[in-house]
Amino acid sequence: MRRVTREMTAATPIIVVVDDSQAVRVFFERIATNVGVDLRTYASAAEAMSFLSERRPDLLFLDIIMPEKDGLTFLQELRRMPLHESTPTIMISSKDYAQDRGTAKQLGVVEYLPKPMTGRAIQDAIVRYAVSPAAAT
Amino acid sequence: MSRPYIRFWGVRGSYAAPHATHLGVGGNTSCVEIRAGDHLLVCDGGTGIIPLGEALMHSPLREMMVVFTHYHWDHICGLPFFPPAFSPAWKIRFFGPGETAADIEQRLSNQMKAPYFPVEIETWMASIEYVSPGSGTLQHGPMTIRFHNVHHPGVTYGYRVNVAGKSIVYMSDNEVAYLKTSIERRADEFDDDEHHILASIEREERLSEIAAVKGADILIHDAQYTPCDYERKRGWGHSCYVDTVNFAIDAGVKSLYLYHHDPTYDDAKVDEIHRDCERLILERGATLECVVAREGMVVEI
Repeated sequence: MRRVTREMTAATPIIVVVDDSQAVRVFFERIATNVGVDLRTYASAAEAMSFLSERRPDLLFLDIIMPEKDGLTFLQELRRMPLHESTPTIMISSKDYAQDRGTAKQLGVVEYLPKPMTGRAIQDAIVRYAVSPAAAT
Repeated sequence: MSRPYIRFWGVRGSYAAPHATHLGVGGNTSCVEIRAGDHLLVCDGGTGIIPLGEALMHSPLREMMVVFTHYHWDHICGLPFFPPAFSPAWKIRFFGPGETAADIEQRLSNQMKAPYFPVEIETWMASIEYVSPGSGTLQHGPMTIRFHNVHHPGVTYGYRVNVAGKSIVYMSDNEVAYLKTSIERRADEFDDDEHHILASIEREERLSEIAAVKGADILIHDAQYTPCDYERKRGWGHSCYVDTVNFAIDAGVKSLYLYHHDPTYDDAKVDEIHRDCERLILERGATLECVVAREGMVVEI
């Protein structure tokens, strides 16, 4: 796990990113330093469970194709946990297929961002759903 | 005991193509048998599993494992007509994408519910086991089976089977190099810094794709479209044969079997694709063997 924060307070939004791509995780870290969030990145679902089994982030980004458990199956598992039945989640994937979008929607994701993503799209999503969530309602 | 072998029972993608002009390649949809002595592994249950099932009823075998890449119709629609499932003499283990064994059962059984089929899976008399997903590795007799996620609509697996010191990879449905073309098509949206990061992301995704098939002795892979058709059908979850050949060369594969042939392509068109694959391999100076997977073809492992 890698953690990136600016000056953190109890109100600092927690963002979790689960993606096996190190470059994607570094991309999020660069953006996090601009936005002022507590970012925690993980390379797999199993690794992320060390945090997610106990804590609910303000926003969760999930890749789909990963070496072990895929992101959609992982989200299905998380949704059965009372802690995560409504955790705001955004899928990030190179898979830009209607079937995956449909499954993600059924699992209650707030957005589906196909890769490649611009830094602006990531930053806007963090602001909309974690930094100023009232604006998203 | 005979040497392990692979037999292709169905090689078509999307839907069956039982036309006279297509039968040199074959009309049945995805189904591949991998046999090692008394151990039988079946990859996918498209219409090709029906003649396989009929042949098995005359064999001394009574156990098998069937693994599914995913649950699109062309990969499961032979199961309701699979004789061993209806025979109490058989023991069958099913595995495919799903969080639990119950998920796998539900996905396979839904196609046999009314009004889509006259009888439900309760009429299966075989001893059926749905295998729970574990650590990513399954064992079936002497075969070690690893599965990984591939690029196709819905959660879809590729399988790597190690047996008799050889490695066989079955990836029936996979749209290879999709991220690369997505970046190329949307290049104007990114600044220089982002392009630098995206190059790293694309490189990592390519390495990850390659890792799953690296050094395989036999790769059975989606090669559904010509470059012209792929232009129109990009994003349908299947590969252009040019990308498949380059993928196999980059991964150091020994033999590539072109698979999941488009149902609109007749024998002549598939042969034309094969000739162009040979040209591409020659151009790259590679040693890859490239073969058209044909129904009934047997490959000794």
